[in-house]
Amino acid sequence: MAESATGTDVPSREQSISSEFSQFGEKAKVAFTKKNRLKVMVRREDLVDIATFVRQKLMFDHCTNVTGTDFPKEKELEITYHFGSTDGAGLRGMILSLACRVPSGDPTLPSLISIFPSADYHERETAEMIGAIFTGHPKLGRFMLPEDWSDIPPMLKAYRLPGRLEAE
Amino acid sequence: MVAEQVGASASEQKKQGPASGRDGPGLSILVGKAKEVIQQAIADPITYLANWGRTYSLWPVHLETACCSIEFGAVSGPRFDAERFGVLEAFGSLRQCDLIVVHGTVTRKMAPRLRMIYDQMPEPKWVIAMGACSITGGVYFDSYNVLPGVDQVVPVDVYVPGCPPRPEMLVDAFILLQDKIRNSNIR
Repeated sequence: MAESATGTDVPSREQSISSEFSQFGEKAKVAFTKKNRLKVMVRREDLVDIATFVRQKLMFDHCTNVTGTDFPKEKELEITYHFGSTDGAGLRGMILSLACRVPSGDPTLPSLISIFPSADYHERETAEMIGAIFTGHPKLGRFMLPEDWSDIPPMLKAYRLPGRLEAE
Repeated sequence: MVAEQVGASASEQKKQGPASGRDGPGLSILVGKAKEVIQQAIADPITYLANWGRTYSLWPVHLETACCSIEFGAVSGPRFDAERFGVLEAFGSLRQCDLIVVHGTVTRKMAPRLRMIYDQMPEPKWVIAMGACSITGGVYFDSYNVLPGVDQVVPVDVYVPGCPPRPEMLVDAFILLQDKIRNSNIR
């Protein structure tokens, strides 16, 4: 068993999956490896290739969630895809995360709906709440917010509730 | 076993007649209420009759907005029976209802629909705001999508605090609303 950065033992399953990403070299950087959790940073140009690899070779077939984080200091959005496996008993309990950083001024990245159909609603929600644009998605638009929403996407750090006094 | 004994002793008391010393304060309250009822009935019988009819048959709309509706379901169940107050949820459409209980969180997307349902009910109608979320927005007060208080879209008669309120508190709310209706003028 290998040691992770925090000093605890990392199980061999996560270690072996993490080493599979080394074939991509610079395109995929493993951010951390923990028990049942693995996070890989990719660029948006390689996102579709690595997602195909995750589906076909690593046997993760269920896109559990798509979330976004706003980093206003670096002016970037980090869109994270979380994958789980529904069939492999060997992958039980494990969640693999692919994180992709896009600049806030141009938050476009390819949609993974053709590879993982379960990413459909999650991508719509992320597009509405944080402003990411998934190219290739058939139906992005007003989904959960009220029809007369005219403000910036509410999950950005710059969002302020209208009519509230802010503490300085 | 205990219930049977208590019930038997109560019926024995009744058989002894109203002048027995055991009834005490209960009897005087009963006589006071009877006096009140007779006064109202003689003074303004139409109002009294109309209010009597409205009080004891408050039919709520099936508008379960959020988690407080589970407590409302418990109130409609056999333990905290709401039907003994006339509040029964078995009806055809909302045009036959006169009470709307707003259970819980109302989002800004739901607010116009809530108003639409309130407008479709015929007069007279009353609103009970149940739970912290419908009084002030509750836990979600700072949310971008939650209405901070349902009294911004509908006029509320009774507020029931709690998250969620105990079923007994909702029963108390029905009784408060019945008191309010009984003492109001008909238009």
